[in-house]
Amino acid sequence: MLPLRLVCGGIWRAAVHTVRTSRGAPPYRLLSSTCDGAPAALADADTIFALSSGHGRCGVAVVRVSGPASATALRCMAGFTQRLPSPRTALLRSITDPRSTEVLDRGLVLWFPAPRSFSGEDSVEFHIHGGPAVITAVLQALGSVPGLRPAEAGEFTRRAFQAGKLGLTEVEGLGDLIHAETEAQRRQALRQMSGELGRLYQDWSDRLKRCLAHVEAFIDFSEDELIEDGVLNRVDVSVRDLQAEIERHLKDERRGERLRGGVQVVIAGATNAGKSSLLNKLCQRPAAIVSPIAGTTRDVVETALDLGGFPVLLSDTAGLRDSSDLVEREGVRRARERVEQADLTLVVVDSAHLPSEVDRAAAFLREHLSSVLPDTGRCLLVLNKADLLPEKQRQKLDMELRGVSGLPAVCLISCQTNEGLKDFLTVLHSSVKTLCGDPLFGAPTLTQARHRAHLQRCAAALAQYQRYRDTDLALAAEGVRLAVTSLGRITGRVGAEEILDIIFKDFCIGK
Amino acid sequence: MLRKKLPFLRSLLSSVSRHVGHLAGHQYDVIVVGGGHAGTEAAAAAARVGAETLLITQKIHTIGALSCNPSLGGVGKGQLVKEVDALDGLCGRAGDWAGIHFSILNRRKGPAVWGPRAQLDRQRYRDFIQSELLSTPRLTVLEGSVEELLVTEPNPEEPGHHRVTGIRLANGSHAISARSVVLTTGTFLSGSLFVGQTTSPGGRIGDAPSSAGLSHTLRERLGLRTGRLRTGTPPRIVKDSVDLSLAKLHLPDSHPTPFSFLNTHTHCKPEEQLPCYLTFTTPGVERVVRESLQLNCHIQQDTKGPRYCPSIESRVLRFPGRSHQVWLEPEGVTSDLLYPQGLSMTMPPDIQLRLIREIPPMRRAEIHTPGYGVQYDFVCPTQLSPALQVKSTQGLFLAGQINGTTGYEEAAAQGLWAGANAARWALSMPTVTLSRTESYIGVLIDDLVSRGVTEPYRMFTSRAEFRTSLRPDNADLRLTPKGFEEVGCVSSVRYQESLRVRNSLQDALTALQALFLSTSSWKKKLPSVPISETKSTLLTGLDLLQYNDVTFEMLASAFPESLSSYMEFAQRLKIEAVYKPHCDLNKKEIERIQREENMSLPQDIDYFSLPVSLSDEVREILDRVRPSTLGAATRLEGITPAAVVNLLNYVRVTEKKKETHRNQRHQEAQRDEELCANSASSPQ
Repeated sequence: MLPLRLVCGGIWRAAVHTVRTSRGAPPYRLLSSTCDGAPAALADADTIFALSSGHGRCGVAVVRVSGPASATALRCMAGFTQRLPSPRTALLRSITDPRSTEVLDRGLVLWFPAPRSFSGEDSVEFHIHGGPAVITAVLQALGSVPGLRPAEAGEFTRRAFQAGKLGLTEVEGLGDLIHAETEAQRRQALRQMSGELGRLYQDWSDRLKRCLAHVEAFIDFSEDELIEDGVLNRVDVSVRDLQAEIERHLKDERRGERLRGGVQVVIAGATNAGKSSLLNKLCQRPAAIVSPIAGTTRDVVETALDLGGFPVLLSDTAGLRDSSDLVEREGVRRARERVEQADLTLVVVDSAHLPSEVDRAAAFLREHLSSVLPDTGRCLLVLNKADLLPEKQRQKLDMELRGVSGLPAVCLISCQTNEGLKDFLTVLHSSVKTLCGDPLFGAPTLTQARHRAHLQRCAAALAQYQRYRDTDLALAAEGVRLAVTSLGRITGRVGAEEILDIIFKDFCIGK
Repeated sequence: MLRKKLPFLRSLLSSVSRHVGHLAGHQYDVIVVGGGHAGTEAAAAAARVGAETLLITQKIHTIGALSCNPSLGGVGKGQLVKEVDALDGLCGRAGDWAGIHFSILNRRKGPAVWGPRAQLDRQRYRDFIQSELLSTPRLTVLEGSVEELLVTEPNPEEPGHHRVTGIRLANGSHAISARSVVLTTGTFLSGSLFVGQTTSPGGRIGDAPSSAGLSHTLRERLGLRTGRLRTGTPPRIVKDSVDLSLAKLHLPDSHPTPFSFLNTHTHCKPEEQLPCYLTFTTPGVERVVRESLQLNCHIQQDTKGPRYCPSIESRVLRFPGRSHQVWLEPEGVTSDLLYPQGLSMTMPPDIQLRLIREIPPMRRAEIHTPGYGVQYDFVCPTQLSPALQVKSTQGLFLAGQINGTTGYEEAAAQGLWAGANAARWALSMPTVTLSRTESYIGVLIDDLVSRGVTEPYRMFTSRAEFRTSLRPDNADLRLTPKGFEEVGCVSSVRYQESLRVRNSLQDALTALQALFLSTSSWKKKLPSVPISETKSTLLTGLDLLQYNDVTFEMLASAFPESLSSYMEFAQRLKIEAVYKPHCDLNKKEIERIQREENMSLPQDIDYFSLPVSLSDEVREILDRVRPSTLGAATRLEGITPAAVVNLLNYVRVTEKKKETHRNQRHQEAQRDEELCANSASSPQ
């Protein structure tokens, strides 16, 4: 944990900035840094955004936007169609996704027009609920606003510095701060880059560099030298393949981002099955109110937890039943909605309701599942209150319900006596691990939205190559250059000299 | 603008300036040492800026000599020629006068990478340069050899800092003083010539070696780090002995395009141009190279040679079993020699003859002058400022091969810039820099002074990050106004012309954007153009001009009233239209780099004791390279984001202190003035 200080509105304000080192580092950080060796821009006209509060369990998260398009972001995400709010005043607003107009959260928004903002530029703060799902959604929505991109290393602070917002005493230690950031980023990058993902990016980067070197050789030398006619045709094939591969990678069902934002696990089932008790057991604190009265939980209760190294967003929902109570009906609606969005549903059943015969119990469970889950969503069956069953029946169910066709994994537990909890946790952990795609063994996945943004830019640049290939090779080459630069933001900078080295290795330039 | 006749200049030149006597004790603003491509541009630029300038060269009649290939321009190099011309330099106009075979290389690859190039008549090129220098006001040419560079003892307050005071000539004790000196010694600095196993001192066959005194002053007196590089030149072949029917004929462009923005046509008429010929090496060539290796000391030594202009020896050794291109180029209209481009070699002359006779058109060829190699000293260019001034020696400027570059165009570009700055320094005006975001000259100088060289440096378009903006067609727009307004090296005539061009282009683009029609109207106006209906319903003339098959001429004939007056710019407008979206994208990045380049780092910082947080490694890099600006520091390998921020912080603090200091001084001065005004005893 590295506590870092951030600047707000010209005064120092402490904010805990968490850098997790034990596992996949959080993706959106105020000073999320480049992996390339080159120092990032000191300032430019882009509008940048980042989560500026700590990543992890927190009640309120602050997302900052800085740059000329900040007002646009505020307009299209907080519904200010006409006038912007008065400066530096907190307002409670619905925060919506500009693409779908779906409400992501309700939170506070603040508008800081230039120059009276922490960065000296127009900026906006969104104070939203601290759950990873909400944060991820808001950040993704921001990424879809034209002109906005995730911030690079130290960019906010540097902009503030450029604008003269940091006094000289405040700047002391700034270098150390950025150094720490860079170090943390470097460690994370190393972890990422030594894995399969790193090898994948490195391979792309090598192939792209070669493409660029060959196009550049064709431009600079083909008039005087023997550069085989096939050179450009080979580049065409490589560029097409690379573009296809990158686009395929971008459509990888967001497995890597799940790792970053947390796996959404939803506890669902009938009333009074012990869902809230299970939540409390899993997060080892009374997050939800537990009572013997059916229908105690009426809204969704959300908790972030760390399950054997994987971030999990656990939601407890209202028990599913028909109710005449308006509030409870809304709770049930939200529960069903949440189950639909879940990566994994824990269907909790009161064991006492199970028929004693195994066959009939299996049929009961199948029917119950179909009433809880929309279709074939991933789920685990949790048979709670096992302590209430006679020992003999307990053993029989435990033995015989395993491997029954049409049923997911079944865990017999008791939140009262902790019986079976350890085994259940093992099963849950392995399910979550599968969902995230094991970074060590699984297919490489995107772990950072930043990577995604750079990869998208890379793929678009390769399309530019194809567009201009036959009419203007200089503009086509510009496409490959942009692609190399974009990928270089992930794998490291590529200089002109490196390209020339490849040229002279591959061609006999003899003029 | 091409002068129809050149005066009888050589006799004039020699009569004017061979007498040294009256120069002794004379004070010049600028002395330029060397009369090659760098020296001539430097002398002319210094004089244009307004300095009394003296050019000293070993032989007046070799001023403007093309020591190696008889050609100018090419891909990347052509951009440099256009830029030198935009700054009112000589080589573009000289090329237009002396060219005998013009072609735009890369014609089919996009205007940003077009490479204007010409084969030259050696005699005509020399004549033009000599005539130009003779008619340049404030410029004197002197034949002589420089023995010593005169510098002051280092200032005790600033150890290691010298100031140039002039030069001393060889064979006599003549000292000539000057405020600035530009050294353009080419390959003559401790130069050695190699043919086979014989080595002799010198920088070019037929010329006396330069004195060791200069080299000694640079290294021992000024403590400059030097390195050693090598280059070479091919044998010249007797044209009549070559059977050109066995080579592939290569014709020039049917309409020669001049280099200079001031010229509408070249001196040589289209039909008078001479062709080049292409042939290839055979396995026999490789055999001869391998058999003669032990007789070839140049090739055995490990001094760094260029990878991209290698001798035939290194070509066949690095890529064996291949056939390599050899161009047979004319040396001039009346010359009876051919220049075999690609056959630079250093083996003994009899083996050179054996080698060329392995190539079919040269089966019976005779060699007029054998090829040879040169090894020479260069000064590590990281010791220079972006004005090409030696950081530790005030008033000393270096340009050309002495800075580790190769090529006429690279030399001319540096010469112009060093000469203009030497003049500004001498006249107590601030020196000026060119950014890599605005010119190839800027790329060249920035690469040299902030990265240094490990092999002879040559320009390629791939070195320019903003290639789509730095095009040969717009060099005048990029540089001529700056050259006039900020540097002072551009004549008013050229400046006015560049303003006319800029305004006309601007007006034409506005007129194009004002043509705002629906796709169906465009279809009626231009029936031959495939305009897709599904695209946005309204298109401007500028949008249309971006289409592949639309030319400005087509639009002008459709809208004669608004466009026909811009017909002379038809090609430039087409290029502007196609590149505009890409240049607009470049602009943001360019502005960022320029901001960083505007923050200068003082040259006298002691990086090891700087009270900011920097790692030892970073301090070491900064101390070695001493970048002039934060932008240059950012581009150094091994400089971390943290280091950049700390440096930025340092710059800010020092600027702030200076400002406070200035304000205080200003206030004190004001107080003093008030006191004086109020005082009856004022001396005034």
